[in-house]
Amino acid sequence: MNKHIIRFPKDGQPSLAANDWQVWDGERDEGSIPDLEHGFTKVLVPFHWWRSQYSAHHKNADLIERANKGEIGVWFATDDDILKHADIIEAGKALWPVVAAHFPIFRDGRSFSTAALLRDRFGWQGEIRAIGDVLIDQLLQGARVGFDAFEMRPDQNLEVGLKQFDLFSITTQNSWRQKRTLLQRSLLEA
Amino acid sequence: MYKYDTIDQTLVDQRVAQFRDQVARRMNGTLAEEEFRPLRLQNGLYHQRHAYMLRVAIPYGLLSAKQLRTLALIADKYDRGYGHFTTRQNIQFNWVELEQTPDILAELAKVEMHAIQTSGNCIRNITSDAFAGVAGDEYIDPRPICELLRQWSTLHPEFAHLPRKFKFAINGAKEDRTVLLCHDVGIELKKNAKDELVADIYAGGGMGRTPILGSLIKQDVPWQVLPSYLTALLRVYNRFGRRDNLYKARIKILVKALGPEEFARQVEGEWTHIKNGDDNFTQAEWDRVTMHFTKPAYKQLSALSKQHIVAGAPEAERSAFARWLERNVKPHQVSGYASVILSLKPHGTVAPGDATVAQMKAIADLSEQYSFGELRVTHEQNLVLADVEQSKLLELWQAAKKQHVALPNIGLLTDIIACPGGDFCSLANAKSLPIAKAIQERFDNLDYLFDLGDISLNISGCINSCGHHHVGNIGVLGVDKDGEEWYQITLGGEQGNDATIGKVIGPSFYADEIPDVITNVINTYVEHRADDESFVDTYRRLGVTPFKEAAYKNAKKKDKAEVKSESAAS
Repeated sequence: MNKHIIRFPKDGQPSLAANDWQVWDGERDEGSIPDLEHGFTKVLVPFHWWRSQYSAHHKNADLIERANKGEIGVWFATDDDILKHADIIEAGKALWPVVAAHFPIFRDGRSFSTAALLRDRFGWQGEIRAIGDVLIDQLLQGARVGFDAFEMRPDQNLEVGLKQFDLFSITTQNSWRQKRTLLQRSLLEA
Repeated sequence: MYKYDTIDQTLVDQRVAQFRDQVARRMNGTLAEEEFRPLRLQNGLYHQRHAYMLRVAIPYGLLSAKQLRTLALIADKYDRGYGHFTTRQNIQFNWVELEQTPDILAELAKVEMHAIQTSGNCIRNITSDAFAGVAGDEYIDPRPICELLRQWSTLHPEFAHLPRKFKFAINGAKEDRTVLLCHDVGIELKKNAKDELVADIYAGGGMGRTPILGSLIKQDVPWQVLPSYLTALLRVYNRFGRRDNLYKARIKILVKALGPEEFARQVEGEWTHIKNGDDNFTQAEWDRVTMHFTKPAYKQLSALSKQHIVAGAPEAERSAFARWLERNVKPHQVSGYASVILSLKPHGTVAPGDATVAQMKAIADLSEQYSFGELRVTHEQNLVLADVEQSKLLELWQAAKKQHVALPNIGLLTDIIACPGGDFCSLANAKSLPIAKAIQERFDNLDYLFDLGDISLNISGCINSCGHHHVGNIGVLGVDKDGEEWYQITLGGEQGNDATIGKVIGPSFYADEIPDVITNVINTYVEHRADDESFVDTYRRLGVTPFKEAAYKNAKKKDKAEVKSESAAS
């Protein structure tokens, strides 16, 4: 776990923040949420586990209670097809303060599309956090597709990370944060 | 050709700064090699057998004299005095130092060039027809769409880490000169009934281990909505393309697994949500780009007949000049003009596609003297002066001869496409260049080559197929067996409108057998051809059997696997 995250709100500046969301991999503690590490009060649970605990047939009362307190978010694995579970994600808008998308390895770009879909298709307004093998050189791409928080791999230099977001003053395709430079200029002129 | 404005220039300058920082972090050890690797690849930097290799983009094959001089400068100052033009309209420098690459990129940025996305699992340099804008058979000039999509794909964040590399080719002519169907996405431009520019989209083509021709998945896409349609297509691939096996990660495997109809349906489903958004191109964007692809200041000239042009040469040189006109000069849209191909395939002296510093500088001069200061790079690894006055062809031929780029072998057996192979590339299983050299030396008789006519011979040093062996009439593929270099022969491949993947004829050969094998195959053609029938047509008429029998006629060694299985059986 990284004790700090980089937070970069859509219309704000990137900065360091304390990390209060523990990521649970869903593997340990026989399928129930483990005791959290010291300092953590909230937990990101695997989306597939949430689905097993929150369905028409079965609702985990403890989970719902904690979710109602704002202590539960979900994280999407690279092979979660979020478009197949649109109803759950729509319902999650009222329940999850934070969602995350996982990078099993830095060079796996599936979570870029996950974040883009969450923003574009689902209109997700809350935080989307990048977790897993998140390295300095993915930050800018991640920030453009829809991520606004990054829990980086613990060996990454956060100060160097903070400098990645303004490397380019020009973009040539639209992104979650802004329209491409040409369109911005023509909109201004119009 | 396209000229950068401050937007384009700022972007490439900032990309150089970003890469300079990445290299610095690699050098000071804070960035591990394994994690630096995809970053350097996305900027065209490979680590090869002997040194780093930098692949520089020549977007859709267009190059100015000034840019070519900068490439010469880089070859001179940072490399060993030459560059290698590739099958995807790039140039490669084989001997660069890691710490100097940011400076090389800064030199490139000064002349509106870069190495962005020339490698890596991202949208690669977009290729097109080397004769765009001048070809006699063109119905749409593809260059504005090429440039719009170059910009759209540059540093696209969502598609920065695709399952595998992703190659676009764009064609707007009757004859396909882009190998369109062997690309991840092929975009065929045309006009619809209302005279509007639309595109047919082919997906899932590729060479490599599993060669597949692309399938038509969507017709009549208006040019404006290409960004949203391609976003939908790439999003489906990014989400569902295989990542568990490097050899099954290209989009062709996904399209094949789903079937083209199902793949098209999924893309359509995704596109429905985004097709009306402002990702799409605007008229203002079209205008900004298209203003650079106007016709140069052609003179009003009357067309000259070939006889008239030939008659201008001294008598002793006429037959040689006529040959060059026949093979290396192509028809032009504008009366009195022609396009000239400078052959980078001298017989047996240098690697196919190589040009020295002196040649690059001289060719830059020639382009200014004879062709409005512009050049094109063909996917066959030659250079084109696209706009030459017919009355200047003789002068140009004489000047080109001095630079050893006037061999009249375009489209002939010795116009070999070859990758750098095992001499340089760390992926290669076998060398390509000595094979190309041996074949060129064996067939060094121009009379004979002319008599044989159109034959393509393509050589790849490994199954990655950079030498496009799958679509050569004769394909040669280097394979490794127990640490030895062997070569597999395919026949019947073809590029163009009748694109065909060649068929493997049987067990592979040793390197020193290849010239004899090619000779035997060619002799079979000569023996059986009817009138003006081309090699590939004869092959199609007769089938593989007579060619195969000839190829193995005096094979002195058998494929090891065969020998082993035979001895096991006995």
